[in-house]
Amino acid sequence: MPDSIDYSRKPVLILGASGFIGSRVAAALERSPIYRPVAASRRSAISVDATDMQSVLRALRDVDCVVNCVAGKDDAMVRAAQVLCDAARSTPPRRIVHLSSMAVYGAATGSVTEDHGPVEPVSLYGRAKIACEGIVGRYVRDGGDAVILRPSCVFGPGSTQWTTRLIRLLRAGRLGDLGAGGDGGCNLAFIDDVVGAIVAALDAPDVSGRTFNISSSADLTWNQFLMAFSKALGATPIRRIPGRTLRIETRILAPFRRVAAKAVKAGWTEAITPSLAALFRQDIRIDSGAAQSALWLHRTPPEQMIAAVLRDNRTKQELAAV
Amino acid sequence: MIQSADDIVRGSVVHADICIVGGGPAGIVLALELSRTGRSILLLESGGEAPTEQARALNIGEVAEGSLHSPPDTYRQRVLGGGTSIWGGRCVPFDPIDFEARPWIDHSGWPIGYDEVERHYAAANAWCEAGEYEYDARLAAPNGMRALLRGFSPRHFDTNGIERFSCPTDFGSRYRNRLRSAPNLRVLLSATATRLRAARDGSRIDALDVCNGRDAAFSVVAGQFVLAMGGMETPRLLLTSDDVHAGGIGNANDLVGRFYMCHVAGTIGSLRVNGAADTVWHGYDLAADGTYCRRRIAPRPATQAAMGLSNAVFRLHHPRIADPAHGTGPLSAIFLAQRFISYEYAKRLVSDAPPSAKTWLRHGMNAAIDSPSTARFLLHWVKARILADRKFPSIIVRPRTNLFSLDFHTEQAPNPDSRIGLGSSLDRFGNRQLRVDWRYCRQDVDTVAQSFDLLGQELADQAIGQLTLAAGERDIETVVRRDGAYGGHHIGTARMGATARSGVVDRNGKVFGVNNLHIAGSAVFPTSSQANPTLTIVAMAVRLAEHLSERVTRVPSIRESVN
Repeated sequence: MPDSIDYSRKPVLILGASGFIGSRVAAALERSPIYRPVAASRRSAISVDATDMQSVLRALRDVDCVVNCVAGKDDAMVRAAQVLCDAARSTPPRRIVHLSSMAVYGAATGSVTEDHGPVEPVSLYGRAKIACEGIVGRYVRDGGDAVILRPSCVFGPGSTQWTTRLIRLLRAGRLGDLGAGGDGGCNLAFIDDVVGAIVAALDAPDVSGRTFNISSSADLTWNQFLMAFSKALGATPIRRIPGRTLRIETRILAPFRRVAAKAVKAGWTEAITPSLAALFRQDIRIDSGAAQSALWLHRTPPEQMIAAVLRDNRTKQELAAV
Repeated sequence: MIQSADDIVRGSVVHADICIVGGGPAGIVLALELSRTGRSILLLESGGEAPTEQARALNIGEVAEGSLHSPPDTYRQRVLGGGTSIWGGRCVPFDPIDFEARPWIDHSGWPIGYDEVERHYAAANAWCEAGEYEYDARLAAPNGMRALLRGFSPRHFDTNGIERFSCPTDFGSRYRNRLRSAPNLRVLLSATATRLRAARDGSRIDALDVCNGRDAAFSVVAGQFVLAMGGMETPRLLLTSDDVHAGGIGNANDLVGRFYMCHVAGTIGSLRVNGAADTVWHGYDLAADGTYCRRRIAPRPATQAAMGLSNAVFRLHHPRIADPAHGTGPLSAIFLAQRFISYEYAKRLVSDAPPSAKTWLRHGMNAAIDSPSTARFLLHWVKARILADRKFPSIIVRPRTNLFSLDFHTEQAPNPDSRIGLGSSLDRFGNRQLRVDWRYCRQDVDTVAQSFDLLGQELADQAIGQLTLAAGERDIETVVRRDGAYGGHHIGTARMGATARSGVVDRNGKVFGVNNLHIAGSAVFPTSSQANPTLTIVAMAVRLAEHLSERVTRVPSIRESVN
């Protein structure tokens, strides 16, 4: 461990610290004069198995707060939330910041605030996130201090799901102008904005037990975003993707691509799943007004998000790859 | 939500904050823009989601001179999406000069400036799916678009203006999901407006009479009414509604239905371009946003002013299809397939006169001899047109020789004697059908003739090529009469004016003297420009939505009551 660790900074345990969001939270806390990251994952220096009670109990012993960014299989996420809350009942941290997702709203449409209930169909991932929120909610009712954040699609350098995947699909001409298939609300949460909200939630007053939507973009459709992103990537002329082609992608090709993706990570193995196509159509606008006032959520404009992605070396490598 | 009016009980009253009559591009854009304001919006469409014979029959009317104007039941579409269900997708903004009062064109000038419409063109482009609002050939495509005629830099014409093409977007199908899911919006199909009921003092519209597909009448009561019915049905409904306002609503100064303009358009001349085939590019370039773009040749504003011309545009075109002398297989194949082409498109592509057996034979020979290009053309057509969502916009055939013709599309000068009125026959609901009396004037013919001559002169002076007229075309008026009024553009019949003496509607589209009646669409255009009207119809609809959202007072949301 480096000698320069300042033990006056509040230690924050990050569960899932090797993941996309977790690693960015760790990096932000590393730079913080107030907090000190205790980055925990199965693979990191501080090895914590988030699904193992003893392991989590040990990790909780000397920390001030916990950020739960555990991702992975749905049942593992639920198990990790349960283990964390059970462990926290015996060794309570000052606060848990739990990362949920806009997936909990399912097929909701219109302007969606935090009190909006789930609308069927809700994906398996969304159900798992609802179950996790339920566990955290019970922890709060039992006297614990926790804040739940529901980011929308987290975009930014290093996001495999909402950045690299989109880059590959756009460059392959498999996404572009989707016509009526792309009229849905494009709710992107820029990674820096998400990290900022997580850090703010550690000490924000009057937020205990509350839930916050975290989204940077407003009034943006997927067509608008995909076309702006295509243009910035030089993936032009932008192709109009007929609905028929999208249906073939989602119904016929997606299963094959997903199988192939287990062996090769490339543009042609990126699947356009039925749920992804449904999201592009879903007229949902995530209202992050509460987070703006309570967590000082900064909302990076779409063109700045795109510019940040283009500056990133991982994007440059991706673009250099044929 | 989208519903059929056939389920509405006879005698019912439907309430809304804003009632929009007509589900074409103007009506759909207005409805979707206004639905975001939280007010209850009712959109009435006489047709359904697909064309029906019953709806088409309501478009039937009389034409004073059949050789000059298409029958009113052609081009017009009574269906959700209106004319966009069959349009070609050509998007061109109006020019600043169109809004000016030009001393050489009587009744020209708008009560609003170009900038008031221009600021909505970006949104209109998005609605029309015509890419970005960029109409300069040097900027529209990466590294600029290819030159039309290499080395041609005319003094009197601009060749950097372009047209961009919509998919073409059928607003009915493209925006159906949004019409279904938009909050506060109710679309009633099969709902034909039959009469506007004015208050006793005429100052407002109390109700709108509507009939459904089962001929059951009901009423709509709304805070505001907007007619977005196109340039023919709008004056018809105003003239029909004459019980309080003698002579029809908004017609105190006998302006409703007058100044009816289309475009003077056709194909003319032959241009033999000097040099190799690669000196000419008359096809499309792709913008970065994927839209097809094409250059045009437009007389500069200063030239228009100096020569007293109306606004105009030329496009380089393949030789006239009907004349087999072009020797080009794909063109002859189109001629041979004319019975499979809809009336609206066949009218411009082929000939009005019935071809002789010899003509058929010569076209057959062309298609056979030039069969490799014919096959290539057909393959491209299937791939880029039939199977594509963003369709290749038109037939572009490289002539075997450097021989082209010119498409012209010119402004028609406002003429009070050119008019839409009421005929003697009645429609299914007992209302008088349309009577179209389209007229052109000397100015219209002179614009085509003089700009054609001027272009020919500049092409010759710069040694680009020779522009000549065939023997039958030397009298330009013959050409104007041969191609007649451009069938799908119906403009000016409820014109915008600074005062009630010069216009039916004011600068905001409100009918003079009636507080809650607005008109959308090309009926309000005081002049017709060189541009196809749809993009400006949409831009003006966005403008009207902005105006109405500031104006309308909130009344209870849509509710229905049975008297």
